[in-house]
Amino acid sequence: MDRKHPENEEALQSKSLSWCSPCLIDHAEPAPISTNVTLDVGDSELDLDGPSLIERDSFDNELLEKQTEVVIAERADNIDDDEKEDKCGGLHAESLDQEGEQMQNALNEVDSYKSTFSLASKVQPKEDECIQKDKCELGKLDIEDEGSSEDRDLSDSVSTDNTLEDSSEFGRPAPVLAGSTGNHIEGPGGRMSGPSSPLLEQSGGSSALSHRDEDVTAESWRLHRKHVFVLSEAGKPIYSRYGNEEALSSTMGVMMALVSFVQSGENVIRSIYSEDHKVVFVQQGPLVLVSVSRGRQSEQQLRKELQYVYYQIISMLTQGSVARIFERKKNYDLRRLLAGSEKILDGLLNFVDSDPSFLLSAVHCLPLSSSLRDSLSLILQKAITPNLVFSILIAKNQLLTIVQEKAVIEDARLEPADLHLLLNLIRASSAFQAGEIWTPICLPLFNPDGYFYAYISYLDPPECTVCLLLLSTDKEAFYSVAECKRRIEESMRTQNSLQSIAAIQSYSVVQVGVSDLRHFMYKPFDVPDNCKQLTQFTSPEMEAPYSIEEERHRLFDMYRYLHSRIHSSSRPLKLIYHVAEKETLLAWVTSKFELYTCFSPLVTKTSAINAITKLLRWIKKEEDRLFIRYPPKYSTTPNPSKGSRGAKGGSDRQDMTDNGFLSLL
Amino acid sequence: MKKPDVKLVILGDVNVGKTSLLHRYTERRFKDTVSTVGGAFFLKQWGPYNISIWDTAGREQFHGLGSMYCRGAAAVVLTYDVTNWQSFAELEDRFLALTDTASADCIFAIVGNKADLTDECASVPHPEAERDACPCPSPVSTTKSHKQVVKEDAVALYKRILKYKMLEEKQCQAAEAMCFETSAKSGYNVDLLFETLFDMVVPGILRKRAEGLSQTVDLMECKGTGPKSSCCY
Repeated sequence: MDRKHPENEEALQSKSLSWCSPCLIDHAEPAPISTNVTLDVGDSELDLDGPSLIERDSFDNELLEKQTEVVIAERADNIDDDEKEDKCGGLHAESLDQEGEQMQNALNEVDSYKSTFSLASKVQPKEDECIQKDKCELGKLDIEDEGSSEDRDLSDSVSTDNTLEDSSEFGRPAPVLAGSTGNHIEGPGGRMSGPSSPLLEQSGGSSALSHRDEDVTAESWRLHRKHVFVLSEAGKPIYSRYGNEEALSSTMGVMMALVSFVQSGENVIRSIYSEDHKVVFVQQGPLVLVSVSRGRQSEQQLRKELQYVYYQIISMLTQGSVARIFERKKNYDLRRLLAGSEKILDGLLNFVDSDPSFLLSAVHCLPLSSSLRDSLSLILQKAITPNLVFSILIAKNQLLTIVQEKAVIEDARLEPADLHLLLNLIRASSAFQAGEIWTPICLPLFNPDGYFYAYISYLDPPECTVCLLLLSTDKEAFYSVAECKRRIEESMRTQNSLQSIAAIQSYSVVQVGVSDLRHFMYKPFDVPDNCKQLTQFTSPEMEAPYSIEEERHRLFDMYRYLHSRIHSSSRPLKLIYHVAEKETLLAWVTSKFELYTCFSPLVTKTSAINAITKLLRWIKKEEDRLFIRYPPKYSTTPNPSKGSRGAKGGSDRQDMTDNGFLSLL
Repeated sequence: MKKPDVKLVILGDVNVGKTSLLHRYTERRFKDTVSTVGGAFFLKQWGPYNISIWDTAGREQFHGLGSMYCRGAAAVVLTYDVTNWQSFAELEDRFLALTDTASADCIFAIVGNKADLTDECASVPHPEAERDACPCPSPVSTTKSHKQVVKEDAVALYKRILKYKMLEEKQCQAAEAMCFETSAKSGYNVDLLFETLFDMVVPGILRKRAEGLSQTVDLMECKGTGPKSSCCY
């Protein structure tokens, strides 16, 4: 993931500039600062009077539009002053109480900044232009400083060899894009008159099949909250989330034209902002992925989602074979290979829109007493066969336990994203649950060019809630892996494990015992050192008032918003206290954890902080139950000759892509 | 684990209804399935014998695995969609070659699915389906799709397959008996298909047993003596 790095660096730079002295000591990474002083200055100026305020204002306005009732604490959500947060997070408070105290101080101090902030935002008459200008300047600085910077925003890179007028022109094609196949709407103004809640529309329309046959010229098609398109570099449609790709070939042609136009200037198109749509482009090898969203998600988040779509495609075909196919034949129709997989991609996009695991890049595991989890792990540990590398037990779409081959764990780790792809695959192919599935699957972050062979079987037919997933590197190992399943089944029967699993409930926020706390998501960074291989998070069930799907989506949208502010590449934040109409949210990131909490709307700052202190204490106490603390390993005492024979067993496409990984075992 | 005595493989293009056929047979009902990934393994108890059934994915993406699923198979069901000529043509173009690894005395069946869409007789709910109170509505009989593949085509294909396999027509099952038109939706001919095949593979099992050779697709054995090991009888 080459993309992550520069972003982190950027974040670090902007941080370190504004609050030089404390941060330098804390992070002990002074290197990038010295080289980039000019850029940093521009950046921080931008921060103080610019885009983030505007962004928030539009967020508020959108809320207000719907609610009409003016929120008194309208400005209260401005309390996200970085300086204080940085201190707070940077000091790594030793005890929880101390942390709470510091947060309190931070928030109080922030209060005094509030007036300045509101003023700044009122003074801004034409925000959009300002941003454009600022970004342009920033872009120029970028280039001058570093020579080449492929990884900047579109607006940045475009502006390097185009004038300001040019870059603003890029804002215009979006509406055309969205409606180019039909009689498209004149201006962005009259567009949003659709359903009062975009979520209603989304959830109502999600009834499968019809999506493929949707009329792409209809208004309803345009009203979808988020479109995702995949096309080849030759402009051939590969996938569209809604509607038939074929019918959209002209639209995709326009997209490709945009991509190649910018490319001809030796630049890379990253995104287009129109009044109510964001168009985000991701180019990955021979594939172009485009997201057209009218939600409030940040570009960064949309980019990450497109990355997931790409990974899902790779997980079915491998990166190498996709590259080879297009090398041989530029205008190859990849749908031939993906035919039937659309539902897996559809499933992924719905999954991404409803499950925070993707947002947090972490795995949600089912809370389980450590003794039960250990006993399950032990069962998996005992049922092994050569070339088996991962044994994973899943219940209710959440992780129960995962056991890994020893050699694997030392060489690489299973990324949450790979596990998400596996979970999605299981979800998407769960309709026929009686059999035992044996399928090649690539884990793109583990190795984008090699296949694993996945054995998938449900342990409790016909309910089909407990799923066993065994990954082997040997294509021929089906029968021996299936034998492992028999043994696992047998042990689970003698230990009555299935009944214990069936009794597992995710927990309710009430159990935390903190009043006013409605929901939270907690992602620790420092689970004990020896099990850093899997990032996890914990979160209670969504309960009233979030038991309705619409409300759930609304809360999730707010989490996404807070997440985007915290992880903003230009101005990362550490603490946000956000008062919304129906709830108050507090997000906090330190070096030890990332926490998003949702309180009832009338909570005070003090009580919210006390609540968080209590919550952190509760999590600490329950840690063993909420997280997989010491993931066990096994050694399948490899038989190298067998593995290599498996790889040479035939002249199949899969085998050609088999990789060095086998030789590790 | 119960050792399977014999292997049966279902092949065919995407969306011809392979999974639905098997599902109709094993669970006695028709439901929407999603596209199969890789292959799905089922064990069917047939009298004293265990018959393993591989329901494969029709997607070209999984083509590479096909020969593995077919290795040592005693019966191959080549499935097409009667309303789709292309799906029939694909059998010869893409799938026949996969069966090279099957047992040499492999039995072939050619199955045209979705007959309910074209034929009156298939769409009338099968007495058996009715007995099971199948919840799916029987297809509307007024709008019949155009039938693109007729049974004669299938018979001709069967003969070509025998030639390809260099088998004498006289020694094999009559072509007419090995070509089926079925409907997974109504249940038409589905039981007939599977039960005919099961009955046909049983003598093979007995012969293998008599010769003291395990017909089971034993992984180690296959590997040791090469993919064609199971054909030496």
